[in-house]
Amino acid sequence: MTEKVSVTIDGAIIRAPKGLSILDAALDHGICIPHLCRVPAISDLGACRLCIVEHIQNGRSKVTTSCTLVVKEGMVIHSNTEKIKRLRRNIAELLVAEAPNSRAVQDVAMRCGVKEVRYPFRNNNCILCGRCVRICTGRLGEKAIGFVGRGMDRRVVAPFDLKSKLCRECGWCSDLCPMTMTPCGGPMHKGQERLCTNCESKQTSLDQMTGYCVACYFGKGFQCERHPERFTGIEE
Amino acid sequence: MNKIHSLDRLRNFRQGIIDQRKKFAATMIICGGTGCQASRSKDVIEAIQNELASQGLTEKVHVRATGCHGFCEQGPILVIEPGNIFYCHLTPEDAQEIVSKTIQKNEIIERLQYKDPVSGNRILTEAEIPFYRAQNRLLLSMNRLVNPGDIEDYIAIGGYSALGKTLAELSPDAVIQEITAAGLRGRGGGGFPTGKKWTETRNADGDEKYVICNADEGDPGAYMDRCVLEGNPHLVIEGMMIGAWAVGAFKGYIYVRNEYPLAVKNTRIAIQQARDLGILGENIFGSSFSFDIEIARGGGAFVCGESTALMASIEGKVGEPRAKDVHTAVDGLWHKPTTLNNVETWANVPAIIHNGSAWFAAMGSKGSKGTKILALTGHIKNTGLVEVEMGTTLNSVVFDIGGGSSDGKAVKAVQTGGPSGGCLPVDKFHLPVDFDELYAAGSMIGSGGFVVMGQNTCMVDVAKYFLTFLQDESCGKCVPCRLGIDRMLEIVTDITEGRGKPEQLDLLEELGATTSETSLCGLGKTAANPALSTLRYFREEYEAHIHNKKCPAGMCQALITYQIDSETCTACGACMTACPYKAITGEKKQIPTIQLELCQKCGICRSECKFESIQVN
Ligand SMILES: Cc1cc2nc3c(=O)[nH]c(=O)nc-3n(C[C@H](O)[C@H](O)[C@H](O)COP(=O)(O)O)c2cc1C
Ligand code: SF4
Ligand code: FES
Repeated sequence: MTEKVSVTIDGAIIRAPKGLSILDAALDHGICIPHLCRVPAISDLGACRLCIVEHIQNGRSKVTTSCTLVVKEGMVIHSNTEKIKRLRRNIAELLVAEAPNSRAVQDVAMRCGVKEVRYPFRNNNCILCGRCVRICTGRLGEKAIGFVGRGMDRRVVAPFDLKSKLCRECGWCSDLCPMTMTPCGGPMHKGQERLCTNCESKQTSLDQMTGYCVACYFGKGFQCERHPERFTGIEE
Repeated sequence: MNKIHSLDRLRNFRQGIIDQRKKFAATMIICGGTGCQASRSKDVIEAIQNELASQGLTEKVHVRATGCHGFCEQGPILVIEPGNIFYCHLTPEDAQEIVSKTIQKNEIIERLQYKDPVSGNRILTEAEIPFYRAQNRLLLSMNRLVNPGDIEDYIAIGGYSALGKTLAELSPDAVIQEITAAGLRGRGGGGFPTGKKWTETRNADGDEKYVICNADEGDPGAYMDRCVLEGNPHLVIEGMMIGAWAVGAFKGYIYVRNEYPLAVKNTRIAIQQARDLGILGENIFGSSFSFDIEIARGGGAFVCGESTALMASIEGKVGEPRAKDVHTAVDGLWHKPTTLNNVETWANVPAIIHNGSAWFAAMGSKGSKGTKILALTGHIKNTGLVEVEMGTTLNSVVFDIGGGSSDGKAVKAVQTGGPSGGCLPVDKFHLPVDFDELYAAGSMIGSGGFVVMGQNTCMVDVAKYFLTFLQDESCGKCVPCRLGIDRMLEIVTDITEGRGKPEQLDLLEELGATTSETSLCGLGKTAANPALSTLRYFREEYEAHIHNKKCPAGMCQALITYQIDSETCTACGACMTACPYKAITGEKKQIPTIQLELCQKCGICRSECKFESIQVN
């Protein structure tokens, strides 16, 4: 049996195997921490920053991502404080303004409590979560696709923009892509930077939600680890 | 060459060099740093050497081509010892006169003397120059004493004796204790206590450990690391060796930016010379300590200076930051414990060991000890590299060393800390150069960039300038940095182009806080500083752009109009000829008018007008 350590997440004392991330430990115990760039069973990237938590050390709180933070005996974590909720909402707002028509991103935004988007919409078809790149390199050991460019020029491409010989056409990249879900019927439009009634009605129930997982419908969209209908092809 | 196997050999070797140099009656110190090379110092050195040879003085006068002295705007620079005579702006044609007059007959050539821009006086010696006088040049002054290509120069001034002392007398823990007691903090931007970092690496498991010198220096306008590494590479090497002994490393890397060919060259020569003398290699000075250094060339991106990105880059991977929940001091290069320090941090180490921690801790302020090199530029009279004691006020840097505003108008602000530093207004100039105090005021020491801004600098435009730089340099991996900087830039651009809305200021503040709080690496964590600090101290300027659609500094093209002041205009017609868009019309000998619909706001008329009659509103 692997050795276990005790950590406290939102007041609950959890026994988690050594080497596990705080995010996995929390999800295993039904504590909801939103996440997007995480791919199960693959080393984490810490790119979307939605899974941020407060890590209390020597009386000081540090904001860090739970997917990159490995459990350690006696760790104290808060995943649902007002500060974390505010920061998470701001990050989700940035994301949804990039791809307002993506159902997955809308769901992330809803889950994180975004009610209003204060930036002009853009219609990007990639939010650079990197799930496709990581499944390809991390799981299959291939490099059929990868990131190129820096900053706002960052893109996911196949080498030399050609379909790579390395590609085995497994299709996992598109299965994991948050942009491939059927978009919702009432997308948000430029100049109308608000959510449609569809989202708003979902949010009413969200307001009453606790920090505990109820396998909510948003989770399907952003492929929450706990959602029964998430893509499961990659697990052993 | 004979290897130096022991401390005695080092002492004898040094004495030998000193004795051999007694024959020289004078020394001509000529700067051969990157800045001076650009103004042809190589040719000057050659001309002087030829001239000395033709006047039969080669055996009497020592010519030392050194690294940068920090006063590049005056280059090429020459100092003649004894006498400390200072000449500047030399050309190869001056060589003959200098040798025959000053060297042979002690005559001063007035034309080559430095003229103080504040008082207008000619100044004889280097020591009297106000620019130097207000400084405390602990590291920079050493550059004058060594030719970076000659290890003998370095040994002659006592080089490698601190290493000798370390290996003979000090245990690793004793070294760390000295560095901790000295209060040395990282010069690379973060100000992290060096002793603490070394302790972490020393205590980490494993016997494969590394030390790295960060000479990536991606900040535009900063060049202190180049100056130290290029001018005195052995100092950095010695510092790294002492550090390696303390943390238990056998291998070091110097990560140099590709754009620094001279620094790479000088470092490579220095490493080779140290190896030839057995100073780098196995069983150094007969001790159990073995160590070698390799040079790694940087990828060129600003973000490659970040510790985890730098290490990824040395490993041959894409230079992108990763999460640092475990410090690189424990999990660094190839997942081994690694101590990474900045050039200037390493360069401070030998003197601390040599003179003791108390000597170092006596300099500076409460929380920041020693000195810091700053790259002083902008709207001031003297620019260049300046080294000041920590705790020196901004006032002293800007006015005593910098000589104050270059155009006689008041100084408006100073931007410290490089692209992700902050802007401080004049009423904060009583603040000291101090890690904690500048941080508390919303700025930082950072890499030591120091840009002085005059009245016609628009602070919103400043924020836009730095955000544009950071947007380009963000690696794009994490959301708050990639999109946060982009949206901040979008807002600031809206404001400078007259589309700003009042609620955007709060959004800018909130977004800035989110970016700082949640980004993965230091780039994102500090990226909001330019926007937040200008908003904090110059909010009224932002508001003028939004509410009155005016740019008070007259910089934002979308918000200004040009007008001719009929009181001072002499109707000379210069502006009419100058305007490339033919937007200025009028009859001969009459005051012309600017056709606003044709005016492209290029400002050419304004710079052409001798009577300052073109006004900006
Ligand atoms: C975006 C970014 C760029 C950096 N660039 C440099 C650099 O060019 N030189 C440097 O010494 N440190 C740089 N740093 C700081 C390093 O990450 C690291 O903290 C430093 O080298 C540690 O040395 P010190 O403790 O001696 O300061 C940078 C940090 C960030 C986040
Ligand atoms: S903060 Fe910026 S530079 Fe650093 S990892 Fe994130 S995107 Fe890259
Ligand atoms: S940063 Fe942790 S899941 Fe994206």
